[in-house]
Amino acid sequence: MSGNLHQAGVRFLRQLGRHAEPIMDAYLSGSVPDQALEPAVEERLVKGGILYRPEPGADLHLRRAVRALLEEALRDDRNRQIDANTGAALATFKTLAAHYKEARHTGDYAAADAYLADLKEHVYAFGETLGHSIRVLWSRLNNEFGYVGTLNAKIRENELAQSQVSELLAGLEMISFEALAETAGDLRELRRLLVTRLQRTVGACAQELSIVQGRLLELLGRFRQIRGRTRLLKGWLLHMEQQPDYQVGNHVAQPNLPQLFNQAAPVLAPAALDIHNPQHESDLLSLVVQIRALQPPERFAPPPGEAAALILGEAEAFEVQGNPIREAVSAYFCRVIDSGQPISALDYRRQHGLPWDAESWLYQVIGGYEGLPEEQKECFELLSDGEAHPLYSGNFIIGDVKLCLIL
Amino acid sequence: MLSTKGQVIERLLKGDFICRTTDEDGWRFLKNAANRSQVDDYLAQLNRLVVQVGAGADGEVFFCGYRQLGEEERKVIGQQFRDICNALTPLVEWLVLVQEAGAQDAPLTEGTPVRLNELQSIVEDTPAFREQLARISHYRLFGSASTSVDGQIKQVFKRLCELGYLTRPNPDKQIYLATGKLDYLYEVIRFIDESESLDLEGRAESASQGQLL
Repeated sequence: MSGNLHQAGVRFLRQLGRHAEPIMDAYLSGSVPDQALEPAVEERLVKGGILYRPEPGADLHLRRAVRALLEEALRDDRNRQIDANTGAALATFKTLAAHYKEARHTGDYAAADAYLADLKEHVYAFGETLGHSIRVLWSRLNNEFGYVGTLNAKIRENELAQSQVSELLAGLEMISFEALAETAGDLRELRRLLVTRLQRTVGACAQELSIVQGRLLELLGRFRQIRGRTRLLKGWLLHMEQQPDYQVGNHVAQPNLPQLFNQAAPVLAPAALDIHNPQHESDLLSLVVQIRALQPPERFAPPPGEAAALILGEAEAFEVQGNPIREAVSAYFCRVIDSGQPISALDYRRQHGLPWDAESWLYQVIGGYEGLPEEQKECFELLSDGEAHPLYSGNFIIGDVKLCLIL
Repeated sequence: MLSTKGQVIERLLKGDFICRTTDEDGWRFLKNAANRSQVDDYLAQLNRLVVQVGAGADGEVFFCGYRQLGEEERKVIGQQFRDICNALTPLVEWLVLVQEAGAQDAPLTEGTPVRLNELQSIVEDTPAFREQLARISHYRLFGSASTSVDGQIKQVFKRLCELGYLTRPNPDKQIYLATGKLDYLYEVIRFIDESESLDLEGRAESASQGQLL
């Protein structure tokens, strides 16, 4: 049995999923026209209890249960359905409690458990419905009935919500815990469910409902005030139209003047500041700083001098004076290229009798090598001859360098 | 620099209305009973006291009134009453125009913003509103001699700011806020309505129902 139910439920939910598009269309627009659905789909949806035809020839509508499910899931503002039928719920509780007691009495524990589970479900559902109703009321309150346009509609919505609150409160009053305690008798499970649990739920809901009621009244007052003001203005204009020679009565001649008109003449004339008072100096300075003065920059710039005549002529020729040691290094590099052999820098210096001392020559060669562009540097390799320092590790003393060509 | 108390006293003696929109600090200061009695004590030396109009969450206005009424004071009050009565019809017409042009449920109340540019473009596009604006702006209260919507509406807003019904929090923007003095205006109309039994609200309601029928 339960396996069957499970399967049928899964099938139903799948059907909902498969036809999600037409169902949402129906939810949003209120109905689906016949032509919009394929006949097979339509038949399946009607048979599945998702859509129904309220009267012959009418469009298809969503069933209430499906609509309620969507409203609840989507937290739709337009949802104003509130279930305030406490009487029916109470009757169900009593009936199920009686079944449970009878089953316990006859010793049919399996049936008793089933009844208890059913009762639990109903009690929880009752609390859930109450909570849901309050949530719906709050959500409408919180956007101040923003889903309807005019003030009059808002006032009507507010009145509807108030009647719903009163109904809910009246329903809650119907719950008599004495009667429920009597029904539960001395059965612990029943007592916990029908008395303790229900009492807690009802207490919390009643408290929240009274807050909702207060807020609704406050809001209604505000709506009425706004409407009253609009009418006051319109009424005044109408009155002036109908009686153009109307003069307001002299209400201020009464011996006890209404507070409203007790308005004294101003006694403070505009004052000027005293710039000679040293105590005000810092305040005045801070004010002066805030002044955004328009100061065109040319006020401060010196006037431009007379421009000299501009004559275009040939640029003077000049020559870059070469540095002899650098030229010698270039010659050394060229020599290495020409010979294709590694040549020691010191040997080259000795052969050509260069005037600079060995150290500056070596530095210049190393510098010349490092100064080459990257792609030229790749064609050479600078090998340094030298030895590590005898005392201090990590120091390498270069005695000579050799430049070689890599090809 | 003056303390809040000093500023409040100064504004009251200048004849300003103190509401939440124009001077929130001063308004909060006066909401406190102890502070208010201090200000009252100070003003007593000048035969003045703090008057409060309107009760509710935010619709409260304070201004300066007389403590003892003599001949002179009655003369001043009588003049002011005549001024406000003469200003009623132009102001009411303007309020209705703003409400209808904005297609709003509620008339302007304290703290409601009015965007001059939007209002102007709506009025310019609608001949009925244009006529209304022209009539309103030619009242002596507003005193506009202009024939263009632009000139008329600017003059009306300028005068309303001078009279203290509107404030302009940012001088670079054309956004105005309604002040508590407008709420005071409603109180005045309501007072006249009640004391002369004009039944303005009932009249407006029956008129609107007549339109529906």
